[in-house]
Amino acid sequence: MAKSKSLVIIIHEEKCTGCRICQLICSSIYKQRFCPAEAFIQINDAYELTPKITFLDDCILCGQCAKHCLYGALELKEVEE
Amino acid sequence: MDFYGYTGKILNVDLTNNKISVENAKVEDLTQFIGGIGMNCKLGAELLKPNTNPFSPENVIILGVGPLVGTITPGASRIVGLSKFPATGAIANSCGSMSFGFNLKQAGYDHVIISGKSEKPVYLLILDDHVELVDASKVWGQDIVETTNYLWKKYDGCGVISIGQAGENLVLGALTLIDKTSTFGRGGLGAVMGAKNVKAIVAKGTKGISIANPKEFKNLYKKQIERIRNYPQRNSWIELGMLRSLPINLMLTAKGEKKKARQASEKYYLKNLKKRRIACPSCPMADKDILEIKEGEFSGLITYTSSVINPLLMFTLDSLESANQAVKIFDLIGRYGLDSLTITSLFEFLGRMYDKGALTKEDIGFEWKRDYKTLTHLIEIIAKREGSFGNILADGWKKLAEINDTIANEMLTIKGLDVIFDPRFLRLGTMEFEQVVNPKGAHVASGGSPTYVGAGGTMEKFKNHFKRMGIPDSAIDRVFIPPLKEMGIHVGRLTRYSEDWYTVLTSLGLCARAQMNRFWGLELATEFYNAVTGFDLQLDDLRKAAERSWNLLKIMNIKEGFTRKNDKFPKEWFKPLKLGENELEFKDFFGGTIITVDIANQLIDDYYDERGWSKENGVPTQEKVKDLGLEKFL
Ligand code: SF4
Ligand code: SF4
Repeated sequence: MAKSKSLVIIIHEEKCTGCRICQLICSSIYKQRFCPAEAFIQINDAYELTPKITFLDDCILCGQCAKHCLYGALELKEVEE
Repeated sequence: MDFYGYTGKILNVDLTNNKISVENAKVEDLTQFIGGIGMNCKLGAELLKPNTNPFSPENVIILGVGPLVGTITPGASRIVGLSKFPATGAIANSCGSMSFGFNLKQAGYDHVIISGKSEKPVYLLILDDHVELVDASKVWGQDIVETTNYLWKKYDGCGVISIGQAGENLVLGALTLIDKTSTFGRGGLGAVMGAKNVKAIVAKGTKGISIANPKEFKNLYKKQIERIRNYPQRNSWIELGMLRSLPINLMLTAKGEKKKARQASEKYYLKNLKKRRIACPSCPMADKDILEIKEGEFSGLITYTSSVINPLLMFTLDSLESANQAVKIFDLIGRYGLDSLTITSLFEFLGRMYDKGALTKEDIGFEWKRDYKTLTHLIEIIAKREGSFGNILADGWKKLAEINDTIANEMLTIKGLDVIFDPRFLRLGTMEFEQVVNPKGAHVASGGSPTYVGAGGTMEKFKNHFKRMGIPDSAIDRVFIPPLKEMGIHVGRLTRYSEDWYTVLTSLGLCARAQMNRFWGLELATEFYNAVTGFDLQLDDLRKAAERSWNLLKIMNIKEGFTRKNDKFPKEWFKPLKLGENELEFKDFFGGTIITVDIANQLIDDYYDERGWSKENGVPTQEKVKDLGLEKFL
């Protein structure tokens, strides 16, 4: 039986700059406006020594945030289920 | 009406009466003045009475963010603050970055007008529609880092503008830091906040920004971000930040200080100082630094800065023996809310005056030494206004000049602020020249300096660069006709357009640092503006809006008493600058012509001419005022 593939996003918090581009992209796709507060990815302590990145339950793992992150903090990977 | 990009809201905060209200912006004003700088000028001209004391309740602080801020437009995070500045007595806009402007916009405001004076220390809290003056007794007396940490913890994700003890004590040159990183308000914005009893301004927004034409915007963004992503030097900008643009180790080598030069090198920074890179919201070219002293003296110290070149510039002082000491001193200055560039110039200058005998032990109240301890002491007495000398220095360069003529004649200041770009070191570009003609005095600004092409560039390259920044065809030839042919470029005439370009960028909310500015041109900026706002402006509308803003700022400052006599090149520039074994002379951009007093005056004449201002006193002509529709502000 062929295995199906799915996406995972691996988080590298140490590379995050707190630029919020991921949140801006996510909210623009799913909320039709630029609103980090409503994005399905949340960046907390953006400018502390280690930012915290969390995905909310509503995230459908479309991978757009990772594709737009320019700093390598969100790594998109395909895995076999 | 529904606004896109803009929120269309102006927040009014009356500190005296603890009254908060919101007014609607007029579309006509937005299209005439664009945003950030432009709208600030318009609001300031309506609100500020001439000859207002900067520390009186009648002075205002106007914060403004442009229409692109809060969106994903690359590098759109600028915040602009207008006030009457105590160090210069000029009305000016100061710019900063990090997350405050972004948050303010997300909270639903384009501008905040702060007037009056609070009876007790407060901080202004803006959480969407909830706006409140909160008792600040917990943080009053604390430094900027302590205050920001406290507020960050309380309101996770907020942007903070904070003052330190220097602002509280009305030190004339006190500035603020945004998110304890970005300097904001050189020339005394921190002291204006202190005089108003405002310790900090906090914004956190969750409302979101809508775009008028999402499809068009998406296309523009996609193209723009690809260009930036593929920029071959992007990785090295992110790795090194602003250190890439100003190699301080070369300055130290020129001074013959090899050991120090090694500690100011890229290699040393990466290994011993760099902790982490942070970015302003939406920025693909992260360049803000979290530094950590990794070993040796002060190891473990962590400090934030808009660039490592700030502490390294301090390291050029003879009194500092190691980069660690420079970082430690820089941290101290930032905490108090002082200006590291001013402290660097001041310390060097005082040492020179002491050696000459123009300052004595009696004048200063302690034994002068060129060492770390004396520098620390100096910072403390300024920030805390200790003793008579501490008070003199806290009252700025103009007060210091009153001690005697030698001091007055030899200080390197313009309109009461220390020179930042000395053309004897960097030659005469627009950034050097602009310090002379800008009402706000010596400051840091960019926006289209010829240095983005470099002195080795062909004239064709310069022409393209000038077109990109929006110089109209009708003016471009004049920019290539300098006072002497061999100078190649007319820096005076060019400066007019450099200022206008900077005004366009900053009014829209875009970062003007070279590494971001290079991806923008007037045409693209106009396209983004229209896609975001849904307005239909032409290139010329933006050009004119910038010119209108600049003229209005000039009109305000003429009412403050500024005339041509204030737009003066420092006398010292016409004498050679000694740097180690070398003697550097005041030369034009390409380095082939020595700038004499006559040439310098000609450059100012022609700058005025290009602006449509009278040569005699630098005042906008009646024709110009009419053309820009500014009659009602006269
Ligand atoms: S995860 Fe990437 S895109 Fe998101 S804030 Fe961090 S660096 Fe920016
Ligand atoms: S994977 Fe898609 S849905 Fe999930 S946070 Fe990223 S952009 Fe949003």
